[in-house]
Amino acid sequence: MILTQEALKLPQINYVALSPMLILFGAATVGVLVEAFAGRGRRYPVQLGLSLVSLVAALVMVVRVAHTRELTAGGAVAVDGPALFLEGTLAVLGIVALLLVAERSLEPGGPFVAVAAVTAGTEADRVQAQRRDAGTEVYPLLLFALGGMMLFVSANDLLTMFVALEVFSLPLYLMCGLARRRRLLSQEAALKYFLLGAFASAFFLFGIAMIYGYAGQINFAAIHEAIQSSTNDRILLYLGLALLAIGLLFKAAAVPFHVWTPDVYQGAPTPVTAFMAACTKVAAFGALLRVIYVAFERTAWDLRLVIGGIAVLTMVVGSVLAVTQTDIKRLLAYSSIANAGYLLVGVLAVGGNGNHDGLASSMFYLVAYGFSVVAAFGVVTLVRDADGEATHLSRWAGLGRRSPLYAGLFTFLLLAFAGIPLTSGFTSKFAVFGAALASGQAWLVVLGAITSVILAFPYLRVVVLVWLSEPGENTPTVSIPGALTSAALAIGALATLLLGIAPQPLLDLSSRAAEFVR
Amino acid sequence: MRSTGMRLIVGTLRCMRGYLGSYATLGLLLVVGAAALTGAFGVNRLLRPGRPGDPAGKFANYECGLDPVGGDWAQVQIRYYLYAYLYVLFAVESVFLFPWAVVFALPGFGRTAVVEMGIFVGVLALGLLYAWRKRVLRWT
Amino acid sequence: MTWVLVAVLAVPAVGAVFRSRAVAAGAAAIAFLLSVALATGRSDGGLTGPIRPWHQLDVSWVPGLNLRFHLGVDGISYPLVVLTTLLTLLCCVYLLWTDGDGTLAALLLVIEVGIVGVFLALDLVLFFVFFEIVLLPMYAVIAGWGGAGRRPAARKFVLYTLFGSVLLLVGVFVVVSRAGTADLVVLSAQHMLPADTQLAAFILLSIAFAVKSPLWPLHTWLPDAHTEAPTVGSVILAGVLLKMGTYGLLRVAVGVLPDGARRVAPVLGVLAVTAILVGGLVCLAQTELKRLIAYSSVGHMGFVLLGIATLTATGFEAALIGNVAHGIITGLLFFLAGAIKDRTHTGDLSELGGLRETAPYLSGILGYAAIASLGLPGLAGFWGEAFAVIAALRRGGPLWTVLAVLAALGGALAAAYFLRLLYRVTHGAARPAVVGIGEPVPGELVAWAPLVVLALAVGLVPALVLGVAQTAVQVMAP
Repeated sequence: MILTQEALKLPQINYVALSPMLILFGAATVGVLVEAFAGRGRRYPVQLGLSLVSLVAALVMVVRVAHTRELTAGGAVAVDGPALFLEGTLAVLGIVALLLVAERSLEPGGPFVAVAAVTAGTEADRVQAQRRDAGTEVYPLLLFALGGMMLFVSANDLLTMFVALEVFSLPLYLMCGLARRRRLLSQEAALKYFLLGAFASAFFLFGIAMIYGYAGQINFAAIHEAIQSSTNDRILLYLGLALLAIGLLFKAAAVPFHVWTPDVYQGAPTPVTAFMAACTKVAAFGALLRVIYVAFERTAWDLRLVIGGIAVLTMVVGSVLAVTQTDIKRLLAYSSIANAGYLLVGVLAVGGNGNHDGLASSMFYLVAYGFSVVAAFGVVTLVRDADGEATHLSRWAGLGRRSPLYAGLFTFLLLAFAGIPLTSGFTSKFAVFGAALASGQAWLVVLGAITSVILAFPYLRVVVLVWLSEPGENTPTVSIPGALTSAALAIGALATLLLGIAPQPLLDLSSRAAEFVR
Repeated sequence: MRSTGMRLIVGTLRCMRGYLGSYATLGLLLVVGAAALTGAFGVNRLLRPGRPGDPAGKFANYECGLDPVGGDWAQVQIRYYLYAYLYVLFAVESVFLFPWAVVFALPGFGRTAVVEMGIFVGVLALGLLYAWRKRVLRWT
Repeated sequence: MTWVLVAVLAVPAVGAVFRSRAVAAGAAAIAFLLSVALATGRSDGGLTGPIRPWHQLDVSWVPGLNLRFHLGVDGISYPLVVLTTLLTLLCCVYLLWTDGDGTLAALLLVIEVGIVGVFLALDLVLFFVFFEIVLLPMYAVIAGWGGAGRRPAARKFVLYTLFGSVLLLVGVFVVVSRAGTADLVVLSAQHMLPADTQLAAFILLSIAFAVKSPLWPLHTWLPDAHTEAPTVGSVILAGVLLKMGTYGLLRVAVGVLPDGARRVAPVLGVLAVTAILVGGLVCLAQTELKRLIAYSSVGHMGFVLLGIATLTATGFEAALIGNVAHGIITGLLFFLAGAIKDRTHTGDLSELGGLRETAPYLSGILGYAAIASLGLPGLAGFWGEAFAVIAALRRGGPLWTVLAVLAALGGALAAAYFLRLLYRVTHGAARPAVVGIGEPVPGELVAWAPLVVLALAVGLVPALVLGVAQTAVQVMAP
């Protein structure tokens, strides 16, 4: 191809509209510099302050540009309702997760390893576990991940989306391996997540190639056009779409691409697990919604059966396997899988002839679930014994006697997961199922309702265990949380309650935002 | 039987005309390659004399020239990896400098292009800086 | 008067926060007085539909989910609301006098909020919300304060109830998404759903309510739950919790989906009569006191469901008064069974016997309650069963006539098993278990007396219940 002056123009970039993610990337870069130049003792306050300020600044900028609806950066990034809504969600959930990450009063130095390169199980490892300081690389990593997620949900072509996918995945792989205790488990989780994630990325990339082969374009609007007008073999389109979907559903933890979830959730440091459970889900579903309804709307009808099948599988497998779990983090992991299934029901509800309730309710669900799950993992960080967190369910017996406040809080959050009225879990499930029924997905709603009953059982079992069992000798204590964890728990629980009692403002907001630009 | 074979061939040919035609050629090549390999080994097996036995040195690491010394499991300094990594980072990213150099002179690009490339190289340099401060570059 | 509607819910909710028996009793008393006061200033407000609430409160809550905070009370819900607040009050008083637990009293208040909310809700989604609120505290009551086999019993209770909730939820979804509104007043006034949708939704809803009622063959959770629950738990469970099912069937399923109801009614009728007969026969073979009373509930609720299944005004009246009478009498019976089990530490009929010799007053009250329950004319149990049979007869046709005859036979079975119960427990020589047990203490008497009086009062003057309900029932019958 010969480059002509007409063919190549400098793309217009609306820096203000992109500022939320630019702020995060900039702050993360500064964070790397802080790591390189600030003294060991000063890094923690500086990094924490920097991360908090940048996240708040990003949130402020999201609010300031809330009415922007445009494509920018040469059509590579869409700044529209869903993108801004999800960027705001990511910023808020990121702040709450950051509070958990930064907590240092629960154990000396916090939950992160001081020297990540130490071989697990050696004498040096035991020494580092006793150190009162910790590495602070996790803060820039968190900011990079959040920035990548924001780009992921607003990417408007497949390559930008792939770059964003890598930008947020790589920090996540690293963060999984940073646990101070149980380092082998943590490193195994990181490696597993990395290997499977790399496979998923490869699928995604191959999918992009296929779609490019079909449409000759990677831009969503152009793909949308091409699906109507292209004369190429449609096999390419479907193959590409399937491969893309594998990449996205992997991040969303949908069955059968879910196998990494329990291991990674269990092995990763609990604050990181909280961050992944809340924010990765937002990013993955934000991107999935955009891909399906901006680029592939004309094939949505063909997709319906496949995604419906995956949704059913995800709901059933997630809820049934949750029943058999004996570790609280694995239980929450399977519950997060099942919730991915409910979200897929919401994704399918979008298709119903111009029905924006589906999109709005899916976004509402993401917010509601994010707050609850962050708070739930926050409680998990509190239940600990001399050996770190006690996550085996048998250790939780009789916890209600020892510390009724946190047991009560956890019970409330579990009830929210179970979808009991007056919690956000009920309103969000109701909204999603209602939208699905309105778009004619009755069978999905029935299965969703049945699986949510199955899923209620493990939660109830935990509640019974916590309240009605006698505390055993090895029932661990609940540590008194520092200000940061307390703040995270308070925000999460309050949001769960508020979204259950007065969800209308957020429902309005999400429904105003529920319009993609193409 | 014959008609099935015919259909298969016709179908293959039809496929080859479509977009996936080049892939079909590739697939055919793979099949032929695999067949040649297995065929050669199979013929070898049929034709060669069977010579059981255990002559001295048959299972040594090398059957030619020098006697092997030491074990076959050698550790490599991890520093090689880090150096190689840093090198590859810059080597690969320099690919982007070429298209940049082409558009640099076009009207409207000049200053913006310089600044953007500055940011790009700056971010890369940041990684090097970080590595330097973390004493990755010190050999001993 | 609309503030009373909110206050009836708010007072127990606030009272539950304190987790103290005294506060709970106080809150329950205030709630009872408030609920009685709901009958003042009655008017149908110029409404013409099948639901004409005396007072109503209609505030938008979450328009995005079709959820309105729409409360109202009319002749059908009023007796049940008062019954709920009364029984909760009596249970709280009972806990106050015996050494009860503050948390248990608080849970009872939460249950009261849920049940009263179900009876007051005039919005389908709100109805579901309240319906769900009841589940967990009841589970906790059984699992936390129950007998030896409480865990499996509580699990069974939750399993069945959650199953019912799912069907209810799906049914609510179907109705709300097809009709575009969740307002029960509007939904029952203009039947805007097509016949097939009505049939599907009615089947979903009626199974959901049948689990709660419970209707044979979905009743098997009930005996276990009753047997293992603590005394107050059994009283609330039998007295009012089951009524959520029958009330829901009447108000929501039949009220909103009359076409669906007409097509399913014969099936419901057959199942109801089966429940009456099966309940009676099983009772004859029972050897455990609380289990026997629990199975008798299955039979009694069968009469209530038969009344509803006839889809006539008489049938609805029978259902209503049957509900109230069953609440009063079975509540009393469970109080008595609890008292006997507390004293003798056994519920085995073969180990009881001769109660008349050692505790004549206790056995006298038990005899009174049993006779009321078997439907002796002049006591409360009679009207519901008689009206149900009459309604079925009036419905005419071979099916309903046969059902009426069989139901009447079932009523006779009730006489047989209750007399057997009295014979085994009160008569004969005193068995070792009942020797030396005490007569009722004042706290118990205070808790029982209102029920004893009401069983007689409703029996002599059924207009106490039917008077307030008449208009509401008349306008509701199709």
